[in-house]
Amino acid sequence: MPSRRSFIAGMLAAGIAPKPTWADAGNPAFLSAGMKPDGSYVLCGLSADAQITFERPLPARGHAAAAHPNLADAVAFARRPGTYAIVLDCVTGQQKARLTAPHDRHFFGHGTFSADGDLLFTTENDFEAARGVVGIWDARHNYARIGEFSSGGIGPHDIKLMPDGTSLVVANGGIETHPETGRTKLNIPTMQSNLSYLSFDGKRLGQMQLDRAHQKNSIRHLAVSAQGDVAFAMQWQGDLTADLPLLGTHHLKTEKIAFAEQASIRNMNGYLGSVAVSRNGNHIATTSPRAGILQNFKGTELFDQTVITDACGVASSKTDFIVTSGTGVVQSRSGLSVLHDVAWDNHLIAI
Amino acid sequence: MNRILLLSTLIFAAAPVFAQDIDIKAIVDGHVLPRYQSLAVEAADLAQSATTDCRPDSDTLIAAYHDAFDAWIGASHLRFGPSEQDDRAFALAFWPDPRGSTPKALSALLQDQDAAVASSREFATVSVAARGFYALEFLLFDPQFSNTANADYHCALVQAVATDISLNASAILGDWETGYGALMSKPGNDTYRTQTEAAQQLFTSLATGLEFTSQTRLGRPMGTFDRPRPNRAEARRSARSLRHVQLSLRATQELAALISIGHVGVDKAFEAAIQRADTLDDPVFAGVTAPQRRLRIEALQQNIDLIRNMLAQEVGPALGIAAGFNSLDGD
Repeated sequence: MPSRRSFIAGMLAAGIAPKPTWADAGNPAFLSAGMKPDGSYVLCGLSADAQITFERPLPARGHAAAAHPNLADAVAFARRPGTYAIVLDCVTGQQKARLTAPHDRHFFGHGTFSADGDLLFTTENDFEAARGVVGIWDARHNYARIGEFSSGGIGPHDIKLMPDGTSLVVANGGIETHPETGRTKLNIPTMQSNLSYLSFDGKRLGQMQLDRAHQKNSIRHLAVSAQGDVAFAMQWQGDLTADLPLLGTHHLKTEKIAFAEQASIRNMNGYLGSVAVSRNGNHIATTSPRAGILQNFKGTELFDQTVITDACGVASSKTDFIVTSGTGVVQSRSGLSVLHDVAWDNHLIAI
Repeated sequence: MNRILLLSTLIFAAAPVFAQDIDIKAIVDGHVLPRYQSLAVEAADLAQSATTDCRPDSDTLIAAYHDAFDAWIGASHLRFGPSEQDDRAFALAFWPDPRGSTPKALSALLQDQDAAVASSREFATVSVAARGFYALEFLLFDPQFSNTANADYHCALVQAVATDISLNASAILGDWETGYGALMSKPGNDTYRTQTEAAQQLFTSLATGLEFTSQTRLGRPMGTFDRPRPNRAEARRSARSLRHVQLSLRATQELAALISIGHVGVDKAFEAAIQRADTLDDPVFAGVTAPQRRLRIEALQQNIDLIRNMLAQEVGPALGIAAGFNSLDGD
């Protein structure tokens, strides 16, 4: 009897296949980019118990990824200031499409799908105008670019779908960069970060900007609870002798802002790498690869913390948080710990 | 994987020992303070020279400009604490400038004859792009600005920029001398809790300074092989591009010797890079467009990257600094 995979391959060849789903890709629970011992770059699927379910090559260092909500499509984004993103069919390992940023744009490394998976939104730099944009790509038509709109600020980084399924939240980090000067930051004295809430056609539904004390706090990464609370993780661009929280939550409707004081510049070495919210919305986890720490908050109160060298990627599983590290470790707070031959890159994406 | 594992083993194995061996006070007193003192002295002289004779063809002013700029480059890797207060270092050195903000901001001031030049307090609120050494270079060396029709306003603007540089330099020095230097020299306070934190800050400034020299001072004019960008060389109008590489290499060599105690390889690698820079004979990196000369600039960049690798993989881990895949990525 043919295996399911060869059965599907046969159907694909016959042109009558149902579109492959995540089950066909070995039911990965997470995606992460990484680097192999030989220096090559890959995108991997990871199961809930931290085993690698698939591994596909990438042409250059990745950053984050986006998982199609139904189909086994993973979009791997190049690291800033990259101009490519690759859509992989995670069943066959084939490249399904390649997104190339328009000539005066580059990607920032993050993107998200609409709830039905029809549209993909990417954060991009319109570098000559020094403004952030959100690019729109049509997943139904081979990921053709169909439009763009303002991200509501400079240097958009992470982007997430809001639980209403009809709007987006974007972390505009506020930092101006230009591909000519690589990753050099050009406007630190005047930078201004914000969180922007946007409809799919680019209408600004709301915006949150922190007060003057936080002028050099760059909002980079986001996690959204089912209740619409947005956890935002920041990176401090000023002198490290300042001490401010780097993690906060915001709710658009109530306009309430709360800070997790223990995720401070001091404790986290001025730098948070990733943030995740638990499935029930009660806990927030954040990492700092520079401090080598995973912090777990209940609300905004520190619940526990774990020392993990070069910890960066974090995502929620059913009942816990899973963390990845540049040393190859995938571990959970509840004792799971698996060492792989892959240096895990910045982000772990839950499927 | 083996390399990564080995690295993380090293981090744990060697962490606490060497950071304790570094004499932070000797670095503050013998490296940081003299460099910021020199900057304050030369910048005061620059302001004085501009007050005496503000014309772009004044030999005294041009000499003072070069001396003060030299002093800044010698301190420009020490970007923490007092230099970051009130964005002082940005106001001293706004570069790179890929969108041409400095000439734009200066043109606007000249066009409007902006009254901000009359008061140093007012001038401190002007865009950082129109302040500092790189703005002064345009005013003194770029014909579009040095031959302006309105000599009086040009003169006032030169004086305002020079005075602003001097005020910033003395403010940085003041903070170092009246508190920050002591906080760093004697860890165990809110700013530096431990000796290791102070050592890490100094190591970071060393690594960042070398990264800037390799990737920006050299990398920017190099562009790509197919598209070299000689017009992007730092301070090329006053022919200082290579000089900045030489000065910053010597400054970081001095700091590295104090941090990487007894690491012969690091010092040798610095010597090789400095020797190559000293014999390059290409003051504004015009050679980036000529394959043979370009090779020599690339070789210099490789010399510097070799130092960076040694620091990241051998010296950093000994100081308890994770040379991590993610911790160094920064995004």
